[in-house]
Amino acid sequence: MLEFIIPNNILCHAVEAMLFVSVATAVLGVIITRIGISSVGFTMAHAAFAGAAIGMFLALPVTIAAIAASLAVALLLGPLSEKAKLSVDATLGVLFSLSMAVAIFFISYMQTLGQGFHASSLLYGDVISLYREEVYSLALLAVIVIVFVILFYKEITALIFHRKIAESTGIRVKPVYYGMLFIIAVSIALSLTIIGGLLLYVWLVTPAAIVYQFSYNLRHMFFLAPVVAGVISVGGAFTGVTCSLPVAPLTAVVFGVVFLVAVLFSPKRRISNSKN
Amino acid sequence: MQPEAKKPLISLSGIYTAYEGDHAPVIRGLSLEIHKGEFIMVGGPNGAGKTTLLESINGLLKITHGHATVCGLDVRNKGHEVRKRVGYVIQNFTFDPLTPFSVKEVVMMGRYGKMGFFRRPSAEDQQAVERAIGMMGIKELEDRPIGILSGGQQQKVLIAQNIARDPEIMLLDEPFSNLDFLSREFVMDILEKLAESGIAIVLVSHAFDDLPDRDIRLVVMKDGDICFDRTCPSEHVEATVREASTPGAIHA
Ligand SMILES: Nc1ncnc2c1ncn2[C@@H]1O[C@H](COP(=O)(O)OP(=O)(O)OP(=O)(O)O)[C@@H](O)[C@H]1O
Ligand SMILES: [Mg+2]
Repeated sequence: MLEFIIPNNILCHAVEAMLFVSVATAVLGVIITRIGISSVGFTMAHAAFAGAAIGMFLALPVTIAAIAASLAVALLLGPLSEKAKLSVDATLGVLFSLSMAVAIFFISYMQTLGQGFHASSLLYGDVISLYREEVYSLALLAVIVIVFVILFYKEITALIFHRKIAESTGIRVKPVYYGMLFIIAVSIALSLTIIGGLLLYVWLVTPAAIVYQFSYNLRHMFFLAPVVAGVISVGGAFTGVTCSLPVAPLTAVVFGVVFLVAVLFSPKRRISNSKN
Repeated sequence: MQPEAKKPLISLSGIYTAYEGDHAPVIRGLSLEIHKGEFIMVGGPNGAGKTTLLESINGLLKITHGHATVCGLDVRNKGHEVRKRVGYVIQNFTFDPLTPFSVKEVVMMGRYGKMGFFRRPSAEDQQAVERAIGMMGIKELEDRPIGILSGGQQQKVLIAQNIARDPEIMLLDEPFSNLDFLSREFVMDILEKLAESGIAIVLVSHAFDDLPDRDIRLVVMKDGDICFDRTCPSEHVEATVREASTPGAIHA
């Protein structure tokens, strides 16, 4: 899509992939952090990681396996998170460690079987060997996420304000909530092989956290989070590919640094961002 | 009397409501009828099931047995439709001081359910919000973020949010808990006016001082059922609640 400015095909695909992934995850990240279900997003991201590893080992479609695992966790946690009975901390902790254990088990095992290259893309991501179709599907994902937020903006804001009050006004909260979890699961799964399971969560939470240091205004957050994430990710992809550095880890470090700088210069000087 | 006026807005018969995961129902075999424009005060000790009753009426909680019709709809499978027509001011709320919504936006949210998906607020919605804000006397707060208001101010915003919905029924769960005595009188006056305009008011409250100076239908709950349901003069309400809630009291 951007070939007219970036003639190098590999670099072009890398930049595009990082741009679309970061826009989708940043927009969803605003919802996740403002509704206060960061822990659900976190657990879903790692479950997708485990699902992808199992899928790759069994030679199943990796993305489908990741979506399935992430959705399974969403359906398991959805009702719990809905009731705000998030004293499920222990459950989340166990699920998280279990996901990591399963993922790392299969990835190490595949490495001993000589399938190391593919397996490590699950860990650290891979933006070098992308097909055009993959880039298109990521573009579609970014569009779907944005359209979802625009279409359900009313309902999403009401959910962010107060779930119970939203429900008591007659809003059909359930379809919106589960639709959102579904889109999160798909986004996580599609982003997984680009960014890697270990770093995905950085993309989900950091952009919203950076912007939150400067504005509480939701519209600003929905607009600025993807812009910030896009700029950082495109910069990371450029630098990484041209200098032959690992793209996703490099970009994740930049995210972290920008976040720290944002905290230092924040008019609010507050780090916590997950409380609703 | 016309038959129209006799048809109750709320009709519960032998309902049971349990919290998810709990086996013993909290509401046990309760029956209640409420008509258009009625003003009902619900009393009873802590844990009697008052909040649970309100959330059974608007379908937030699942009724497991019995029949429940509200605004002519079956609550058990038309809960969200019922809630579009029933206001509910919740008992416990806390807002993050940084919550990014202004008073006006919060009041508008009261109409979101009614608007339905994919619609933006119309001129009519705006007017309803203006009216509700004016009625509750919070015009000067309308652009402030709700999170930094006082508890009483927040309570008024939530009442305005429900008035803005133009409901047929208003359920209020201790709406006076944060209000000073002037505000209590003020809000009670508004509730009276709403009742006169035909809205059924179901008021759960432990504050008996500011009741309207007339006969009031009093419902007292105990152990998940109604143990008293009669009209009595407002000055007798407190004594009646006290007596009816005492262990061993004779059930009416
Ligand atoms: N979320 C819940 N899960 C399980 N049980 C609950 C829940 N909320 C309330 N209960 C139980 O239901 C019963 C009735 O509670 P309810 O809140 O309806 O009482 P109430 O009359 O509103 O009391 P109060 O005057 O304190 O507000 C209590 O025994 C309480 O323990
Ligand atoms: Mg209560």
